[in-house]
Amino acid sequence: MKFIKPENIDSLLENLEDNKGRTYFLAGGTDLNVQIKNGIIRNPNIIYINHLSELNGINAANGSIIIGATTSFHEILESKIIRLHLPFFQKSLESFASPLLQNSATIGGNIANGSPTADVVPLLLILDAEIELSSKTRNRSIYLKDFFNGYKQNVMESNEIITKIIINKSAEKNFITFYEKVGSRKALAISKVSLAGMKRVSGYKITMIKLSVGSINEYPRRLFKVEDYLTDKTASEIDFTKVEELLDKEITPITDLRSDKEYRYHVCVNLIRTFINQ
Amino acid sequence: MKSIRKIDAIPKLNGSWKFLDDYSYEEMIHGQLLYSTCHHGFIKKIAFPDGYNLSEFTMVSAKDIPGENIVPEPECDQPFMAEKEVFHFGQVIMGIAHPDRKLLREFISNTKIEYEELSAIIDIKECLENQKNAFGRELTIDHRTGKKPDPNWIHHHKIYYTPHQEQAYLEPQGMIAVWQPEDKIMFVRATCQCPFFVKEGVETIMSDTIKEAVIETSEGIGGAFGGKEDFPSLLAGITSLLSYKSGKPVKIVLEREDDIQITTKRHPARIEINSWTDPETKKIMKIDIDYRLDAGAYQTLSPVVLARGVLHAISGYCIPDAFIRGRLFRSNTPSNGAFRGFGAPQAFAAMEAHIDDIAANLKVNPYEFRKINIFKSGDEFPTTQPILEDHLSDCLECVIEKSNYLNKLKEFKEWNKTHKDKKGIGISIGYHGGGYTGNGEKVLNSEVKVVIKKDATVMIFVANTDMGQGAHTTLAQMFFEAIDHPREKCLVQLPNTSKTPNSGPTVASRTIYIIGNLLRKFAFKIKDELGFENLEDYVASNQNEFPREFRMNFVQDPSVVFDDENYVGVAYKDYSWAACVTEIYYHADTYQIELTKNWSVMDIGKVVNQKIATGQAEGGVLQGLAYGLCEFFYKPGYGRMHGFTDYALPTTMDIPEINIEFIHTDTPIAKGLGEIPMDFPAPSVRNAFHNATGVFIDEIPLIPERILGSIKNLELGI
Repeated sequence: MKFIKPENIDSLLENLEDNKGRTYFLAGGTDLNVQIKNGIIRNPNIIYINHLSELNGINAANGSIIIGATTSFHEILESKIIRLHLPFFQKSLESFASPLLQNSATIGGNIANGSPTADVVPLLLILDAEIELSSKTRNRSIYLKDFFNGYKQNVMESNEIITKIIINKSAEKNFITFYEKVGSRKALAISKVSLAGMKRVSGYKITMIKLSVGSINEYPRRLFKVEDYLTDKTASEIDFTKVEELLDKEITPITDLRSDKEYRYHVCVNLIRTFINQ
Repeated sequence: MKSIRKIDAIPKLNGSWKFLDDYSYEEMIHGQLLYSTCHHGFIKKIAFPDGYNLSEFTMVSAKDIPGENIVPEPECDQPFMAEKEVFHFGQVIMGIAHPDRKLLREFISNTKIEYEELSAIIDIKECLENQKNAFGRELTIDHRTGKKPDPNWIHHHKIYYTPHQEQAYLEPQGMIAVWQPEDKIMFVRATCQCPFFVKEGVETIMSDTIKEAVIETSEGIGGAFGGKEDFPSLLAGITSLLSYKSGKPVKIVLEREDDIQITTKRHPARIEINSWTDPETKKIMKIDIDYRLDAGAYQTLSPVVLARGVLHAISGYCIPDAFIRGRLFRSNTPSNGAFRGFGAPQAFAAMEAHIDDIAANLKVNPYEFRKINIFKSGDEFPTTQPILEDHLSDCLECVIEKSNYLNKLKEFKEWNKTHKDKKGIGISIGYHGGGYTGNGEKVLNSEVKVVIKKDATVMIFVANTDMGQGAHTTLAQMFFEAIDHPREKCLVQLPNTSKTPNSGPTVASRTIYIIGNLLRKFAFKIKDELGFENLEDYVASNQNEFPREFRMNFVQDPSVVFDDENYVGVAYKDYSWAACVTEIYYHADTYQIELTKNWSVMDIGKVVNQKIATGQAEGGVLQGLAYGLCEFFYKPGYGRMHGFTDYALPTTMDIPEINIEFIHTDTPIAKGLGEIPMDFPAPSVRNAFHNATGVFIDEIPLIPERILGSIKNLELGI
């Protein structure tokens, strides 16, 4: 095991240039430590980043809310800036793990760990969040929806790190919102299904809708096909057989120790229906 | 009734009390268990990983055992370690020790065992459906009249299934053995419920190589719930052997994942009920119960669980014609064992479900139907033991009133007409016989010891352990309240088998009921013998008589006569009684049941310490509700849960409002409290779900995936 604690962000990025093989960034450690203890990760190269102030904090600037990658969920839940601009996002995160884990786990870690069950990702997807990836030579922003490309796989280069999460200040404005995390209990649960949704309705017509699901594909995803179908329709114009057909193309629920694919599928359908009729 | 603070409250809060893993001894090394990952097979080869210096390790296997390779149990059929053949996943093959705990863990996880695999039964239903898997003694309670059922009676037939349940004690299983060759004593520090069981275990495996095994518990025992009744005997045996062979103190603390996978669980059950009810009187006239338990690979203490199961199988009803048959079934899974309730929760889960099934069929509300059939003084149990009091019925009446049950029935019915989500309310009742079954307490012949010192401090010596349930606080309280002695001058000593007489194991709701009431009597006896008004004054003026030791044995009431061959007679002298009402909210989108309220009314006789008793009752009720709702341990095709991430214990967020009331407390006898709160709540969840949706589910827990399977095709209205 190799352990590096860089002095500052420049030294971190410098280190990444020389980096050979896979590196794990240690911030809150709530996923990493468990994986090391259970032998899933053996002899890792670890770079500790939780002390780097450049990566931490919540700021509002130029119409955006910028959340540093190592900002803890506790900090997000307590943040006045978030409460003012993104109250739905904040409220939804209350069901994240437990207070103990909220104190330690970080937003960047929840994304980078790449779990299909990551709680924060479906929410960030409907908020059209961007993430900033930094290396010694460049900073680039990409939409979170373009970040993952497979189970625990993403587009990040070996010399890059997630530094920021960027959300438009008015991302929630004038939207009707919906979030349901379904687990085996109300706290300390890994979700079996989660659905996040935002819509705008004019008259009876849905003028805009964004939906994302967690724990139901190899990584959390937006349901673009379903969204397209629902847009510009009134509730009575929506054919749920069609919704289910489209959903079949966009989700791949599985049966595992924790739940069954039939259950995940039906809950997903029910939650979408409830949100549409809301 | 005084709510005296638990003696362990402050030392546990400030961290000064030691749990097992906090103890260390000079030159101590660490041990772990190498166990089978094969369900059934011959061990062909054990290959240790390269790159380790094998001479640094101490290893023991069956061939190193100087004594007998059989764990002492009610049925002695389980070896400490497998010899050539393994009969279940998790069977211990070797004990291995090394000074470095982490290195040892790596070494064991990289050790590969080759097996010649044989056929195995690992699925619960596969085990319980096939009568060829039955083993051990079959128990029957025969209270048949020999008459054929009246053709007008309505026949109901159902099969109910209950799952494993994990004890989920906070502190995993652990043991430290310290071999003392100079006096040939094997000293064992244990987190356990039954120090004398552990002693017997160590003396069996070590035989004549030791003079004596001395067992002392750790200061803190972080929970047990039955899980530390028999497994510690096996663990202590292997730890002792490692200490003997290495010549060093050895500590084994199980990793949580190992603990969940290989130690004893509550027995899964299949309970088939045939009943015949008179539609005119709404009385159940005849019943036939087939009670089956999946014992695992060995019987161990399962025969005793089976006994309690059949003795509680009929629940609280007077049924003139009854036949109960109980059998153990063998599977290739770790032996199941003791867990709070000990066969009774399975019995009530089935019978209390069946009562609601019949009531629904007869279109009587579940309360009215229970009221008609509940047993009263003058009735008898199927063993012919007479019912001497109406306290069960009193519990039911009280809980119906407190919960406003009848009004809620109407109110929910209306509400459900206009809502997609549903509200439901359900009842269940139960009881628990205190102490060992039948003649057990007579055989145990428990002894307690008290030493009164020169400063009038009373030292109480009992083998019963305090695993967080507050036993040592309450036992002392029963003694000092009897003679009005200051509480700080009356203390229960840490159980140590060389100093403490054998007052029996800490099981069977017997600690306060048998030992506590004995201590109370003992206090009065000492007072009479010495003739004092005030013990402190007496000791002060008779200093030369002290320190002085007193001993007393438990004497069973002569009315307790049980025919163990035919299961006839008085199975338990005193019963604790209970009834509950549970309210749920059913979320239609997610098929989830949310517990909203529970009222539990219990008769446990005298309440010694209100706060401790209420805490025990709330915890037990929650454990019972979770057994019915969410604690899901084994999934066919996927196996056992690995830890608390998957095994869904409820969190504080999931706890409903729980209202506990004790009735008939105005009596000198404190009855059993340990298990009763766990026995009865589970079926109330299932019955409430039926009330909410009209759907009966006959297998607990009511996890949402199972609910979806049951209601997928049913129209629930709105």
